[in-house]
Amino acid sequence: MIESIELAKCTGCGICDVVCPADVIHMEPLPATEELPGLYKVTSLPVIKFREHCITCFSCEIFCPEGIVDVHPSVKNRPRPW
Amino acid sequence: MARFEGELIDTDVLVIGAGAGGLLAALSAKRHGPPGTRVTLVDSWLIGRTGHTAFSNAWTIVVLPDDDLDGILHEIVAGNDGIADQELVRQSLMDSHARLKDFEAMGMTFARDEHGAYKRRPTRGLDLARVMYPEGGGLEFAWKLRRALEAEGVQLIDRMFVTGLMRGGSDRVVGAVGINSRTGAFHVLRARSTIVATNAITFRSGFVRDITGTGTLLAYRAGASLRNAEFSYVRPGTPKFYFEGITFAIQEGAQWVNAKGEPFMQAYEPEWGDEADVPRIARAMAMEQRKGNAPLYLDMSAIPEHLRDYFIQSKVRWMDNFFRKLGDEAKTDMFGKTPYYALNQMTKMGIRTGADCRSDVPGLLSSGLAQAGCANHFAGFHIGLCVGNGWIAGRSAIEDLDRLSQPRLDQGEVQALFAETMAPLQPSAAAESDRILRDLQAVMFAYDTGVLKREDRLRQAYERVTALSDSFKTIAAPHTHELVRMKETEAMLLAAQFILGASLYRTESRLSHFREDHDARDDDNWLVWVDIAEGGNGPAFTKTPIPTPYCSVTLPRRRPSRLAARQSIGGV
Repeated sequence: MIESIELAKCTGCGICDVVCPADVIHMEPLPATEELPGLYKVTSLPVIKFREHCITCFSCEIFCPEGIVDVHPSVKNRPRPW
Repeated sequence: MARFEGELIDTDVLVIGAGAGGLLAALSAKRHGPPGTRVTLVDSWLIGRTGHTAFSNAWTIVVLPDDDLDGILHEIVAGNDGIADQELVRQSLMDSHARLKDFEAMGMTFARDEHGAYKRRPTRGLDLARVMYPEGGGLEFAWKLRRALEAEGVQLIDRMFVTGLMRGGSDRVVGAVGINSRTGAFHVLRARSTIVATNAITFRSGFVRDITGTGTLLAYRAGASLRNAEFSYVRPGTPKFYFEGITFAIQEGAQWVNAKGEPFMQAYEPEWGDEADVPRIARAMAMEQRKGNAPLYLDMSAIPEHLRDYFIQSKVRWMDNFFRKLGDEAKTDMFGKTPYYALNQMTKMGIRTGADCRSDVPGLLSSGLAQAGCANHFAGFHIGLCVGNGWIAGRSAIEDLDRLSQPRLDQGEVQALFAETMAPLQPSAAAESDRILRDLQAVMFAYDTGVLKREDRLRQAYERVTALSDSFKTIAAPHTHELVRMKETEAMLLAAQFILGASLYRTESRLSHFREDHDARDDDNWLVWVDIAEGGNGPAFTKTPIPTPYCSVTLPRRRPSRLAARQSIGGV
């Protein structure tokens, strides 16, 4: 399951969002300043929006050009054994 | 209710789903069509980076000119207990060498030995067939196909989740409607020929949980028949880590053992033992569990040290990352004893078509595992058949273009499909489809329902699924993400009813369909496909005899263990 994206090093390229086959990561605009709500930064950054639906395919980690996505090989999201 | 608004896309051939079956159908349509033919391929996510193909090793059966085509066909048919379209399988095998050349022309590399011969290996449950894979596995396979389609002028539309097929007020299909899976924007995709290639439904289980197979159910609603639902089965997986490569681990010495450490496969499958194909392993595991011998393990300790890295540094890039992060402990676990449970529903239900991949509804074709060509696919034959039937479907779609008139939209139908698509959206709702899905998994994955069947238990399961379907009607979707998941869950609920209904209908045992109350195979009465069509008041189940134009449906029993005859994987 996806753990984190090191946003300080993120260039906002959006590849992690594009390659995700489970709609987990969304590129979203960030507020530019606290003084003026509604004003956003030019570059959007990835948000882990639906972590619980991550299928642990590692696509975001494999294709991130900056190597800043961390997917943990947790399997807790798998169907439970019967 | 949202106000009607949408975008129109016009095309000649629309392909829905971008696994091997859809990618090949689009390629075939483009290459068979006259210059200027418009071919459009859509997928719910990024074409080339989604679906079962992309996350597999992309092992595929290729029949080379010196191979025994008829022998391979016969063993596949027999391995399906006869549930195979012999014409379709034979054509797919015959075409496989030409497709290999196509793949190489796209820049894929298939390993060769020092004499220039392809490196191939046998696959589980088959003797004569040989499989091979492209360097980089499924991710490279799917991406190079995407690039090739772009270069040849196929229109690619990512993030298009199809929610319905259109009839245009006629007796045929005239395209589809769908939404952008991120924005929810409604689209009408008008097409003369439509190919559904959306895989089979897996109930969001196993290692590729984005396979939801909704297209088969949309085809059913548009008038197509479905078949092979009763051959769906639950296969074992490990809850500890993902492992893609059981087939080849077994060939290198892994074996199934019970809680007492006793190997058990030979008792259930004297011919193949541990090398039996997956449906038969699933059945043996269910029976062994019933004897009280669980947990059951895949014991990989006999795999030679020098081959262990091969399984870790697989062609599948995600598996390499996976094990690197788990560390040495996981590696020790993996090559010790790994517990396996029922984890993964393999639905075999597909759209009924002829060997030309045309459904009963004009203008609607099918390829990939959404097409019901076989009920048992072996390792390497999944993609092998998808490559084959994709090529056939694309060609048939082009042949149909001259016969089918210009598709017309039916205003009332489009608006109704729009309303139906958007109906669950309620911004204040909670997302609840996961809860229903988990309950559905619990019903369908139980060994007593999914593997060892009996009339009373199937009926109980049917009642539980019906109750879940009723419960589903009360939920809503707060956003597009949940709307897509709800549509997928709705299709899974319908699929579950068909699986249970067809399992009740077939009163014999065959392949992965094992009825304890009808435990013998009955070729006199049941060498048939069970077809499911809308009968007015719900699904109607009927029999269609299976033609056997090329070979019988059995093979002489053979022994002994095949392990000794296997070559080592060494570098393959």
